[in-house]
Amino acid sequence: MRGPSLHWAARPAFLMRRRTLTAVLFVLIFCAFSRPVAGQTRNATLNASINGLARLSLSSAAISFPDADPDTVPSIQATQGPITLTAKARTSPNGSITLTVQANDHLRSGVNTIPASHITWVAGGAGFTNGTLSATSAQIVAVWTGSGVRSGTQTFFFKNLWSYATGIYTLTMTYTLSAA
Amino acid sequence: MKKAVWSGAVATAVLLLGSSTAFAQQTATASIAVTASVNAKAKLTLGLAAITFADADPDVTPLYTSAPVSVSVKARTTVGGNVLLTVLASGDLDSGSATIPVTTLTWAATGTGFAANGANSFTAAQTLGQWSGSGNPTGSHTLSLPNLWSYNTGTYTVTLNYTLTAP
Repeated sequence: MRGPSLHWAARPAFLMRRRTLTAVLFVLIFCAFSRPVAGQTRNATLNASINGLARLSLSSAAISFPDADPDTVPSIQATQGPITLTAKARTSPNGSITLTVQANDHLRSGVNTIPASHITWVAGGAGFTNGTLSATSAQIVAVWTGSGVRSGTQTFFFKNLWSYATGIYTLTMTYTLSAA
Repeated sequence: MKKAVWSGAVATAVLLLGSSTAFAQQTATASIAVTASVNAKAKLTLGLAAITFADADPDVTPLYTSAPVSVSVKARTTVGGNVLLTVLASGDLDSGSATIPVTTLTWAATGTGFAANGANSFTAAQTLGQWSGSGNPTGSHTLSLPNLWSYNTGTYTVTLNYTLTAP
């Protein structure tokens, strides 16, 4: 009763499965052994935007100099010890990266003042430099070339003189990291 | 062809726009608060801890005079604070039951703020120097004692106490 005149849908199920499997096998073999007929190239453009960026972090938001006898401690070290500065910057190739610091004013206690220049620092780390604080101009703390992450330290000292009037003196140091 | 040219122009424009952003100067800031404590202090240093007048003929040496005694004053105080150096004798010059009035032991001083002349007392502190505000004034003073025939023999002593105050 089985013959070519039979309707496809009426064929037995095992015949259907065999034909399907054969077709799938053929496609797989074709794909596995196929080769390009001729050489072809395609270009894809990848655009990655890397913009200039600067980020600065300090290990302490405040430092303090305790009272001391000027004869025994002529230069008072900040209680906090070395401050760690971390500068992260992205810039152009060989672009200059500069870290500066400037005091907002002289050390002030009411109407009494002590020059900001009586605060000095000793630096540690590549690119960092020793310096003297100023209220009138930004002082260089460190200079580098090119992008990167750099860390260093500043240990601050306060010139301790008998001539100071008593008081609690304050100022704020502002650091600026610039990536050109 | 026309499309390719336009695409190139647009790409260049985008590149230029991007590069101007990429190479603009970037800055970051941070700050640290600084506090310095300056408290009141006073320190006094005398160049000598003892003065001795050797016996002498009153007719030849009518006045004993010491070598200059240096005085170093160091004071931290408020602006305009009164820094005061005084001297108070422990008593009269005394040798057992014999005495010589300490008021006859006088001084002559040099240096800014020092009293040029004065006499010691054991009843009231005498001002040897006075200054306004913090600082480190220095000077010197010599002590003198009349050498009189009327003195009883003996070795006379007195202690002079110097006091420096800075409010």
